[in-house]
Amino acid sequence: MKLSISPPRSLETKRNRWGWAFVAPGVLFFSTFSLYPILSAIWTSFHNKKLLSLKPPKFIGFQNYAKVLESTDFWNSVRASATFCLGVFVPIFCLSLLFGVLIASRSKGRRFYQMALYSPAVLSSVVTASVWAIMFDPRGLANQFLNGLMGTPGIDHRWLADATMVQVSTMVVYVWKMVGYYCILFVTGIGKIPVSVIEASIIDGANAWQRLTRITMPLLRPTMALVSVMIFTNSLKTFSTQYLFSQRGAPSRPINVLTLNIYNTAIVEQNLGLASVMSLLLFAVLLLFAWAQVKAGGSGEDM
Amino acid sequence: MKKAIVSLVLLALTASLAVAQAPVVAAAKGKNVEIKLWTHDDANRGPLEKQFIAEFMAANPTVKITYSSYPSGKILETLTTAFAANQGPDIFNVASGSAIPFLDNGRVAPGNYKAVGVKNAAELEASYQPGSFEAVKREGDIYGMPLELTNMCLYVNKKMFAEAGLDAEKDYPRTWEDVMALSEKIVKRNGQIITRRGFDFRYDAYPNTFVPMVEQLGGQLVSKDGKTAILGDEAWLKVLQYVKDFGPAGKNLGSPTYTAARTEFDKNTGLVAMSFSGLYQEARMKASNPAFYNSKDWMVVPFPQWKNSKKSVPANYSGHYYMVNAQSAKLEQEVAWTLLNYMLDHGEQYLEKVAIVQPTQKLDQSAFYKSMPYSAVFSKDFAAAKIVYVGKGSSRLNTCLKEAFESVMLAGAEPKAALDKLRKDAQAVLDSED
Repeated sequence: MKLSISPPRSLETKRNRWGWAFVAPGVLFFSTFSLYPILSAIWTSFHNKKLLSLKPPKFIGFQNYAKVLESTDFWNSVRASATFCLGVFVPIFCLSLLFGVLIASRSKGRRFYQMALYSPAVLSSVVTASVWAIMFDPRGLANQFLNGLMGTPGIDHRWLADATMVQVSTMVVYVWKMVGYYCILFVTGIGKIPVSVIEASIIDGANAWQRLTRITMPLLRPTMALVSVMIFTNSLKTFSTQYLFSQRGAPSRPINVLTLNIYNTAIVEQNLGLASVMSLLLFAVLLLFAWAQVKAGGSGEDM
Repeated sequence: MKKAIVSLVLLALTASLAVAQAPVVAAAKGKNVEIKLWTHDDANRGPLEKQFIAEFMAANPTVKITYSSYPSGKILETLTTAFAANQGPDIFNVASGSAIPFLDNGRVAPGNYKAVGVKNAAELEASYQPGSFEAVKREGDIYGMPLELTNMCLYVNKKMFAEAGLDAEKDYPRTWEDVMALSEKIVKRNGQIITRRGFDFRYDAYPNTFVPMVEQLGGQLVSKDGKTAILGDEAWLKVLQYVKDFGPAGKNLGSPTYTAARTEFDKNTGLVAMSFSGLYQEARMKASNPAFYNSKDWMVVPFPQWKNSKKSVPANYSGHYYMVNAQSAKLEQEVAWTLLNYMLDHGEQYLEKVAIVQPTQKLDQSAFYKSMPYSAVFSKDFAAAKIVYVGKGSSRLNTCLKEAFESVMLAGAEPKAALDKLRKDAQAVLDSED
């Protein structure tokens, strides 16, 4: 007679089951709202799919890819997105680091300054863009402020009218909105530097500047790398300011970033195939940045 | 006391009459019918339409109507995505220029003439002004009912004319050359910044106001067969040059980045002397600045023409149409058409409370319409006008027009270069739609 003995459930198996149970909602959420749309976009990119059509979409191979890559509008959008990313990177990085160091060095009122800097990030992007659009009116605050500062009364800096200035304007709005967010990341990064290291440097006679340049900055490198990648990733997804400014009379071509082009292709032109191709190309770039982010700062825990 | 009782009785009678006026859909009796109606936000129209819906539901107790409104800038996006997921509402409204994708893709139900109370499409058309259904007519059938159709004329501030040493009654602009010359006389600047505009364009209305300028000179946006874009180079070049001269890089008389001219006109704070708008602007002016509305300081004149116009062309009109979802069940469609007919039968109330003009013969002939200041000016222009281009690719063509006019006005492009690009882009739009 043969005895069949089932192996006892190990503690690890039990833990694994619980692990899966805890992870399942996240996996389900990710599959529904991220993975499925990505797979759907890949499928759509090979089909001639019009948004309102009731006919089944036709498989057209790589035709949509060829159309997008040959389109001058697409390359203009790549230029607009790249210009925007590079244009906002330096001011956001420098200002948020500067404010981060200043806030971290204060013992009193730290929370107040953090809150004040962070508050624009909480505002809706549409509200932010609307408020700035009023300020960029030729008779608005932007001209008055700059003319007062430079002693050039009556000069219209054409914030929303000139092809270059309208790009600068979108960057100003974005920097104003996002500096507080990245500043908080720097404050957190500085807070994680071991106090013992700082104390040791003080005992060794290091002054404030030496502590900043020889201890804080080197130990802040992982945070800096993470913030750099995040600035690029998030600024590639900018949309509301460009959309609203172009609705309010600003020339659309200079600020027709990829996200705005995707929106117009899908909603105005109703061509989901082309919009999907552009989305996937943008996704590929974002994926690259995400990989760089993981390499640079891990999951963010080291920050 | 007696007076109060009589008033109450009259009020009750009126209320009961209102309920009684709403039509009963015999086919819906005893059946639960749910209708979803989506429209764009309008603080004045919402309460009025909700009142009509309440009356309709009182007359048809088994019918439930859900009224939802969305921001006007978002309604098209909301509708398009809902229809793409086959979850569109039973009743919806779209702008005339955006109707075509819904029609071409079979998303809209043809008119239920019985429910609308007419024998056929011809009878329905006859009760409206000619051309009212051009955007929603396919092979003899009508696919939508106009919520409003608007043509634009020129509002003139007489006081600002007088301040510039002009007599508006005599000196108002008849031609585009007049518009430019008067703007130069009235404009004031602080350095490069305009502090008072003589006139400024309506930059959200390229097909309504810029295209007619071209048409007056013999040019066309799209050929009659719908296959060729941008005809009549001479006309286009002249208009593009005019806009370039008008803009910041030319005589610096106006620009799309200033606050909309019609908004500043209503305020009467001396910022804009002339602006384009529809008859509805009168009601907005009345609400925002009743003192100015009631003064004799403003007037409305016809859409200007060129001195050497080849033909007289007023501003093109555009508007919104209520439509019924073709995917709704037949009974829902019948209820939807009956409801639409009931709502839109109150043209005078829409005009009085919402300030929108439904192009019905009944409203055009009504004493109320005629009593509105300068309604005759709008009517005369409307009678000679046509609808904006509503053929294939109309939304994308608007984007091409916007880019072309902005490039000469703001980016300093030469009219010839802008025209070449416009032709290439517009032709690509038409070709891709085939």
